[in-house]
Amino acid sequence: MSESLAVGRAQARPAVQAGDAVGVAALDARRKLQLALGVIWVLDGILQFQPSMFTTSFPDMLAESAPGNPGVVSGPITWSASLIDHHVVVLNAIFATIQLALGLGIAWRPTLRLALAASIAWSLAVWWLGEGFGGILAGTASPVNGAPGPVILYAILAVLLWPADRDPAAPSVAERVVGRRPARAVWLVLWGSLAAFALLPASRAPGAISGMLTGGADGAPVWLAWIDTHAASALNHHGLAASIVLAVLLALVAVAVYLPAPILRAAIVLAVVLAAALWLAQGMGELFTGMATDPESGPLLALLALAFWPAAPRPAVPAPAIPVKEA
Amino acid sequence: MGGPAWLTAIFAAASLAVAVYCAGRLVVARGWHRPTELDTDGAHVVMGVAMAGMFVSGLRTLPSAIWEVVFAAAAVWFGYRMLQGRRGGQPSPWRSSHPLPHLVECAAMVFMFLILPASAAAGAATSGMSMTMTATESRFSFLTLPLALFLFGYVVWLGDRVTLRAPALALATTPATGGSGSPTAETARAYLAPRCAAICKITMGITMGYMLVLML
Repeated sequence: MSESLAVGRAQARPAVQAGDAVGVAALDARRKLQLALGVIWVLDGILQFQPSMFTTSFPDMLAESAPGNPGVVSGPITWSASLIDHHVVVLNAIFATIQLALGLGIAWRPTLRLALAASIAWSLAVWWLGEGFGGILAGTASPVNGAPGPVILYAILAVLLWPADRDPAAPSVAERVVGRRPARAVWLVLWGSLAAFALLPASRAPGAISGMLTGGADGAPVWLAWIDTHAASALNHHGLAASIVLAVLLALVAVAVYLPAPILRAAIVLAVVLAAALWLAQGMGELFTGMATDPESGPLLALLALAFWPAAPRPAVPAPAIPVKEA
Repeated sequence: MGGPAWLTAIFAAASLAVAVYCAGRLVVARGWHRPTELDTDGAHVVMGVAMAGMFVSGLRTLPSAIWEVVFAAAAVWFGYRMLQGRRGGQPSPWRSSHPLPHLVECAAMVFMFLILPASAAAGAATSGMSMTMTATESRFSFLTLPLALFLFGYVVWLGDRVTLRAPALALATTPATGGSGSPTAETARAYLAPRCAAICKITMGITMGYMLVLML
């Protein structure tokens, strides 16, 4: 019998071949989510290798996140953008390599913890210096433009997908890692803040959402531009109503984490649908413009939502009988 | 190609390195009687050469039309292997055990050769093939992104399966000659450098994914 059975394949195969690793455990839900996170990091790394990233367009893009922020926040952003501007080729190559390494590090089990920990540090730095905290302090944050900043979601996911169990009996991957109450608090704060951002002037002002949708169509392929421009046209005079509906839906998702599992499952489906809609509104992260550094918040929100999917209760395993010493 | 020449040169060098290494595997595997995936290694030899030519015009060897036929044929082979596997056909240590990713790779090569600007594909460019798509080609972007994501998924999946230690018990058995199927001295052969083969696949996946991202 081949050792290839050890990789979890159902049928026996005659040989262990390339890519068939002996002794590699089967993929559980957490590992699948970790690998999905790894895929996004690899995509980020490759996007960072795009030709335009080696030009001044990249530091210019970073500097755009500074205006509107307090001086203590915008100062370092401007400084780092200036530094990158002077050494854009070398620094961008380093940034791209780091992100690619994070993705591969998450994929390779021996470096999983190191890569996740490094991704948290990297994400926090980029959240500040690259995204200006997602415009939260500048008052420009909106779920439609990627608030609270896609890169902070990488850090949250790294924590929620950490390979350790604090509460092994919890129903979802995220709750198993950090415990039920902290995980639910993270969910509530994240989706609740998105609901709040949807009601800020950046979203509810006349033409705000339709303007962001039109922006998402810039440089997009024909089919995506068609979706965004038609959505922008439809919402052109209903910006306030759209932002209220969006806020209500996001708030429903936020509170659902405290509701019974069937309702939570429905809310997670809604969250994934909302994430997909937001991703389309964001022009799919402007991946088609040659200037994207990440796929924006949509895919990450969907991944995060799936980390809270409540699994069916496990069948109770009878406790091993403890031999009783006879007196 | 736009962007730093050194970067495209690195990717071209990586493609060629994979091609040379896989050609070496084909030679060594026969001589040492150590199983390797002949179809995968063969595909990677031609893929590496073709991709190097796409990155650096000076490394271009054959016209696009010929590459399209080659990769279409390879795609048909891997498709046939996949169907065979689904029907419960006897797997072989000398053939790819996971033909789907290689089918997608070959399809992606055909796709890239088909939609790249004709002038660049004909060799008119002097500094490498332009990977930036025009508005006309952008209508295919709905295919480019899923192809790139599939390849990145494959890369990560492979990374998950690469072990730190050598798989000492990785044995290629031939039940027909091995009696009960248990490995014997004649039939049990360690697979040829499985981790190196996986690294080749990862390199190829990243390089091809990069090409596809440039075409978004």
